[in-house]
Amino acid sequence: MTGGRPLGLVLLEMILLVLLGPLVTGTIQKMKARLQCRQGAGVLQPYRDLAKLLRKSTVQADTASGFFRSIPLLVLAATVAAGALVPVVRVGPPAVPLGDAVMLLGLLALARFLTAVGALDAGGAFGGMGASREMTIAPLVEPVLMMVVFSTAVGAGTTELGTLAAHRGTSWILGWSAADFLGFAAMLVLLPAETGRIPVDNPDTHLELTMLHEGMLLEHSGPGLGCMVLASHTRQIVTLGLVSALFFPVGPANGAGATSLLLGAGRFAATILVLATYLALVESSYAKLRLFRVPQYLGVGFVCALTALALRIL
Amino acid sequence: MDVGAGPNLMAACYGAGAISSLLARWSGRLAVGVGHMAALAGALAGLGASLGMLLGAPGHTLTQALPTLFPFARLSLSVDGLSAFFLLVISLVAVAAAIYGPAYLRTHSPDAGPARQAAQVLALNVFLGCMSLVCCAGDALTFLLSWEGMTLASYVLVVSDDRNGENARAGLLYMVMAHGGTALLLVAFLALTERAGAFDFEALRMAATGLDATTRTTLFFLALGGFATKAGVVPLHVWLPRAHPAAPSHVSALMSGVMLKVAIYGILRFAFDLLAPAAGPLPSSWGWTVLFVGTTSAVLGVLYALQQHDLKRLLAFHSVENIGIILIGAGLAMILWRTEGGGGALATVALTAALLHTVNHAAFKGLLFLGAGSVLSRTHVRNMEELGGLARHMPWTTGLFLLGAVAISALPPLNGFVSEWLTFQALLGGAGRFHGPAGLAIVFSAAMLALTGGLAAACFAKAFGVTFLGRPRTPHAEHATEAPSSMIAGMVWLGALCVALGVAPGYAIRLLDAPTGLLLGGPVASAVVTAHGPLVLSTALTPSGADGTSISMTTVAALLFALTAMAWVLRGGWWRAAPRTAPTWTCGMSPTARFDYTATAFAKPLRLVFAALYRPRRAVTRETAGTPYILRRIHYAGEIVDLAETEIYHRVERDISALSQAIRARSTGRIYGYIGFVLGALFVALLLLGVVYR
Repeated sequence: MTGGRPLGLVLLEMILLVLLGPLVTGTIQKMKARLQCRQGAGVLQPYRDLAKLLRKSTVQADTASGFFRSIPLLVLAATVAAGALVPVVRVGPPAVPLGDAVMLLGLLALARFLTAVGALDAGGAFGGMGASREMTIAPLVEPVLMMVVFSTAVGAGTTELGTLAAHRGTSWILGWSAADFLGFAAMLVLLPAETGRIPVDNPDTHLELTMLHEGMLLEHSGPGLGCMVLASHTRQIVTLGLVSALFFPVGPANGAGATSLLLGAGRFAATILVLATYLALVESSYAKLRLFRVPQYLGVGFVCALTALALRIL
Repeated sequence: MDVGAGPNLMAACYGAGAISSLLARWSGRLAVGVGHMAALAGALAGLGASLGMLLGAPGHTLTQALPTLFPFARLSLSVDGLSAFFLLVISLVAVAAAIYGPAYLRTHSPDAGPARQAAQVLALNVFLGCMSLVCCAGDALTFLLSWEGMTLASYVLVVSDDRNGENARAGLLYMVMAHGGTALLLVAFLALTERAGAFDFEALRMAATGLDATTRTTLFFLALGGFATKAGVVPLHVWLPRAHPAAPSHVSALMSGVMLKVAIYGILRFAFDLLAPAAGPLPSSWGWTVLFVGTTSAVLGVLYALQQHDLKRLLAFHSVENIGIILIGAGLAMILWRTEGGGGALATVALTAALLHTVNHAAFKGLLFLGAGSVLSRTHVRNMEELGGLARHMPWTTGLFLLGAVAISALPPLNGFVSEWLTFQALLGGAGRFHGPAGLAIVFSAAMLALTGGLAAACFAKAFGVTFLGRPRTPHAEHATEAPSSMIAGMVWLGALCVALGVAPGYAIRLLDAPTGLLLGGPVASAVVTAHGPLVLSTALTPSGADGTSISMTTVAALLFALTAMAWVLRGGWWRAAPRTAPTWTCGMSPTARFDYTATAFAKPLRLVFAALYRPRRAVTRETAGTPYILRRIHYAGEIVDLAETEIYHRVERDISALSQAIRARSTGRIYGYIGFVLGALFVALLLLGVVYR
C-alpha cells in the first residue's frame, strides 16, 4: 500500500468531480449547438440552472409517500460516493481502502434503483414508463461494463481503479494491445447508454417517445430536482472518469508537489474533453434508436467486450 | 454452560413445542402461543450452540450418541464447523419466524379452527427440529430420517394455509419432486453404507477413500441430483414457486431462506467431506457442473421472477436465483480446491463467498417474505396489481421491505453486495488462474452474475414500487393498516442483520473460519479476506499475493451517510418550508389509480427483449357496442411460459400418460395375466442380476 492516495486527496478529487460535472454537460451542450449551427447557451448554463433550482420551493405530488423527499438526497450521495472511487490526478490505491470498480458500478446502480423507485412513487404514467425503460436498459449495460472492467483487471489481478491506472502507466495508444482496442471500442458503444445520451436516451426531453431518464425526474421539483440534476451531471463525469482510469494514462504515481498534481489534473481535463467531444459528435450525428433496437446496439458492445476478454485470457 | 449441551437443549425445545401444541389442540390460541415460544427457545439455543462452536471451539467436533432406535445402526449427532455454521443460519431465521408467527397466524386466518392451528405449530416445530438435525447428523440414517421429517413437516405446512385446490396441487408436486430427490440420496447413501458396513459418517469417509473415480463421480452426481431438487436448481425448480408461496409467510421465509440451504449443506458435505479423495483435487466435472447449473439457475431464476405478479411467487423465484449465486461460489471452490500452489487462498475466497451469500440470502429473503406476509395478512391479496399505495399506511413494513429489496439487488452498502463482490473477486481470480476456454467460461459466468444483479434490481424496483408506492388500486390496499408490533419486531431483527452484515461484514467472516478451515484445509476465511483488519475486505488474486483488491464497506457506508447529510444541508436542512402538494400531472385528466404503471407494463420491455425465453402470449379481445367504433371494454390476457416446464415436464407427463394408456390396454383384469407379468418381471430381474454379478 505504498504510493497510495491519502484520504484528503481522495476527497479533494471527489469534490473536483462534483464541481466539474456541470461544466462537462455545459461543454457538450455548447459543442452540440455549434455542430448544429446554433449559438447555444454558455458552458456555464448548467451551474445557473442548478443555482436557480436550489432557490426554488418544492411542489410535491399528493400521492407521493414519505420516501419521496429523501430520494434526491440518497441518489446524489450514492453518485458522489462513486466519484470518490475514481482516480483523477494521481494513480495508486487510496491509503484508506474505499472501493473498487465493482463498488463504483454498484453505487451507480443504487442511484439508478432509487431514482426508479422515486419515479414510481408519484404515481403517474410518465414516471413508471421512464423507470421501466431505464431498468430495462441498465441490466443490459451493466454486464458489458463489468466485462470491460474485467478485460483490463484480469491482467492486473485487481479491480481497484487506482491500481489499474498504475498498471496502465503512462503509455497510451502506442502501447495498447488488441484487447485494449476492443475493450475501448466496447466502452465507446456503452458510453452514450451509461451517460443517458443519443442514441440510447435523449437528455433534452421527456417526450414519451424518447425519454428514459428525464421521465423519472418529472415529479421532482425545486432543490430536490436540483439534487437529481447534479447527480446526473456527476454520474456522467464519473463514467468518463472510469473510462479514463481504465484506458487513459492518469497522473503520476508518487510525484509529490503541486506541479505533478497540476500535470495530473491537466491530463484528466484533456481526457474528459476528448470523451466529451466524442459524445457531442455522436449526439449530433445519430438519431435516437427505437427502444427495442437498443439491445442490438448494446450487443455490439457485448461482442467487443467478449472478444477483448477472450484475447486477454486465451 | 457446556457447549455440548446446546444441540440437546435445542432439540428438547423443538420437541417440547411439538408435543405441547399437540396437547393444547383444544385451544388454538394457546397452542400457537406455546408452540412459538418453544420454537423461539429452540432457535435461541441453536444460536447459542452454533456461536459457541464457531467462536469458542473452531476445529472441534462435537459427537454425541443418540438412543438406539434400530438394532442395525447406531444413531449419533456430530457437530463440526460446517454443521455449526448452517445451524447458525437456520437459527437466525427461526428466531425471526418464531417472533413473527403468532401474530401472523392470528391476523391472516382468524377463523381457523384450533386443530388446524395446532397442526401448523406442531409441523413448524418438527420442521425446525428436523432441519437442525439434518445439519447435525453424524450418520446416514439420522440424516435421511431428519431429511424426510423436514420434507413431511413442510408438506403439512404447505397444504395447511388456505385449503384450496391450488395449494393441494402445489403440495402434491412438492411431495413427488422431494421424494424423487430423496430416492437419489438414498441410492447414494446406501451405496456408501453398503461398502462401509456401517452408517456413521466416519465409516463412510473411510469407505469413500477406496472408491474408483467412476463410482465416486456417479455417487456425487446422484447426491447432487437429490440435493439440487431440494435446492430448486433449474430445471428441478418447478415445485418451488408453487409450494413456497402456499405456506404461511413465516414458513415461506423458512423454506426459502433456510430449507434450501440445508441442500447446500448436503452438497458441500458430500463434495468436500464424504466423497472427497484423500489427496489431490476433486474431479473437474464436479465443480464445472455445479458452476454451470449455478449460473443457469441465477439467470433463469431472476428472469422468471421478473414476470411474476404474485408477490410471494416472485420472491420464491428469486430463491432459485440466489441458490444459483451460492452454487457459483461453491462450484468455483470445487474447481480450485487443491489445484493452486501457494496455500490455496482463492478457493477460500470462493467458498467464503458462497457461505456468506448463504447467510445473507437467509437474512434478506427471510425479511422480504415476512414483509410480503405483513402485506398479505393486512390485505389478503398476493397479486401486486391489486395493491399499491401501502407506504402511507404501513410505513414500517414498507421501509423494511425496501431494505430487503436493496440488499437482494446486490446494491451497496447492504449485505447482498458483499457476497456478490466476493464472488466477483473469486471469479476474476479464477479467470486469471485458468487460461484458455476454462478462464473464458469463468468470466462469462461473472458477466451473467452482473446481468443477474441488474435484473434483480429491475425486478425489485417493480415489486416494491407497484406494491407499496403510487395510489392504492383496490379497496383492500386502501384500507390496509400497519402490522402488529411483534411482526414488525421479527422483521427488524432480520433487517438489522442485513445492515450489520453489509456495513461491517468483517466480523461475520470470522464465523466462516471453522467451515472454510474444515472443508478446504487451507487458509481460513478471515486470514484471507480480512487480512487487513476487520473493517477491510481484501483479496489477493495473483499467486504472489501482491496487488490485491481492498474495499471497506464501513468507510463507504460512512461516506454515503456523510454525503446524504451534506446533501440534506444543501437542500436547506430544517429551515425549508414544507413542500406544497399538488396532484400528479396526468395530461389534464383527473388522476386515478388507473394512471399508475402496472407490474405487467413495467416488465414489458424486458419481456420483449427476452422473448425467446419467455415465449409470451397475449390475447386482446374487444367488446363493441354495435359498431366497431364504440368500444365497451377491452380485455387483455397475457402469459409467459417456463421453458423447463413446457420443454421437459410436460413432455415427460405426456410420455408417462401414453405409457399408462399402453399398460391399461394390457390390464385385462384376469389374475393369471398378472401372475404372468410378475413371473416375467422376476425372470428379467434375475437375468439382469446374473449378468451384473457374474
